[in-house]
Amino acid sequence: MHDGHHQLATLRFYKERMLVVLAHIQERLDEDLALEDLARRGGLSRYHFHRVFHGMVGEPLMAHVRRLRLERAAHRLRHTSQQVVQIALEAGYDSHEAFTRSFRQAFGVTPSEFRRGRMPLRSLAPSGIHFLERGVPRDFRAARSLSRPMQVTIESVLPTRVAFLRHVGPYAACGPTWDRLCTWMGKEGYLGPGCRIIGISYDDPEATPPDQIRYDACITVDENFKPRDGIGVQTIEGGECARVTHHGPYAELSRTYAGLFGQWLPRSGRHVRNAPCFEVYLNDPGSTAPEDLVTDIYLPLAPL
Amino acid sequence: MKTTTVSKSRPAPAKLDLGARFKREYVAPRKPVLIDTAPACYLVVEGKGEPGGAVFQARVGALYAMAFTVKMTRKFAGKQDYAVGKLEARYFDLGGQRTPPRDKWRWQLLIRTPDFVETGELDRAVAVLRKRGKEGDSALVKLDTIAEGRCVQMLHVGPYDREGDTVEVMAAWAKSQGLRCRGPHHEIYLSDPRRVAPEKLKTILRLPVAPAK
Repeated sequence: MHDGHHQLATLRFYKERMLVVLAHIQERLDEDLALEDLARRGGLSRYHFHRVFHGMVGEPLMAHVRRLRLERAAHRLRHTSQQVVQIALEAGYDSHEAFTRSFRQAFGVTPSEFRRGRMPLRSLAPSGIHFLERGVPRDFRAARSLSRPMQVTIESVLPTRVAFLRHVGPYAACGPTWDRLCTWMGKEGYLGPGCRIIGISYDDPEATPPDQIRYDACITVDENFKPRDGIGVQTIEGGECARVTHHGPYAELSRTYAGLFGQWLPRSGRHVRNAPCFEVYLNDPGSTAPEDLVTDIYLPLAPL
Repeated sequence: MKTTTVSKSRPAPAKLDLGARFKREYVAPRKPVLIDTAPACYLVVEGKGEPGGAVFQARVGALYAMAFTVKMTRKFAGKQDYAVGKLEARYFDLGGQRTPPRDKWRWQLLIRTPDFVETGELDRAVAVLRKRGKEGDSALVKLDTIAEGRCVQMLHVGPYDREGDTVEVMAAWAKSQGLRCRGPHHEIYLSDPRRVAPEKLKTILRLPVAPAK
């Protein structure tokens, strides 16, 4: 079937992009692996790269890098006589204690136990990618949906004008920004019927220092709205988007993102547009239990 | 039991959640129970027509616009903050001898509101909404105190048009307790019908009762 071929071609496309990045990581474990640079090598929009990676490889980008560095450390413990402190330093840890803690968390034994023993390294990797002493990975297991496939619909979205307030910091701490925006918009009479509550998240919390994560709290407005009192105005780009509904606490949104990017996107036959995802909040967290919250996630798609 | 107290040292008073404070009035059991309600203050808008129809939806929009505008105006001014409650409704033509067709039903949409909110605040909210072209039916929203006293209450799970089954269970139980339902039929919407499948919709049903004669 023509369609099936097209979808296989996209899966191959995304897998090849990820393999380029995975190989690059293996070759440069000692370098400072910057997200922007990896996204460029993978040929994907910086807004979406980390989510495609997490979704397809089955672990966040920085967790993957950390694991490979620890696996390399394990290899050196077993096969060299380097000092533990030196190995820890090369794995990116500046103290013996921090290294020991991470090592035990990852492999269930301390570095010195591992060095003395003969047990094989027990390291879990959904992708099947492990540290290689030489060479680069040639293939990996792309994450698959375990439960039923996601309900994703493609929607044509009109350009959307929004009043917004930017939050810089961890996503979980955006409450006061929402408070300020809603309070101001409310007393000005903008919280009338038909207004929608939207969030735009620009950065990957796994790969961005917490104090630099950007998020825009947005409320839809018409063309008469004038920016005032620190509240800005912007237009969310129109175009086709993939929409998926997330049911449950906001803290679990990343799981739905991982499914959308890891399972749906590579098999969709579609490519992403260079625009950030946005979330539409469909009920009021002030009067709704976290498990009953409903959020639509929109992923901008490039035209066919 | 955990209660919210406003300590003197705290600059901003804690957010008031009426649903939590009057927890016993918002129980949602799978079997009928008897509750005693105190007179309660609500934002109220009335109407006539099919539940879920165009008039109904417009009034829901007006009620929420009013609720959030009043709340946020108070909050901006540094006054006591509170959570906007869930949507509730009372139907006046149910439980009688004959039920009229749905498009003739008379109803009242309600959002429970702290009793420190005043009528003047509603007038000012209508004025700011008008300024933004979002006035809609907001001028029809009033403040009212409703006293229901003793009620039978039970959770209904499923489509709204199957509520009759739950009401029957409640009425039969009331009768077994020597009570009769005097109405009006009150419901509290726990689920959003636009987002939840009909068979999973949760609605608290409340029927005011009186001793059977």
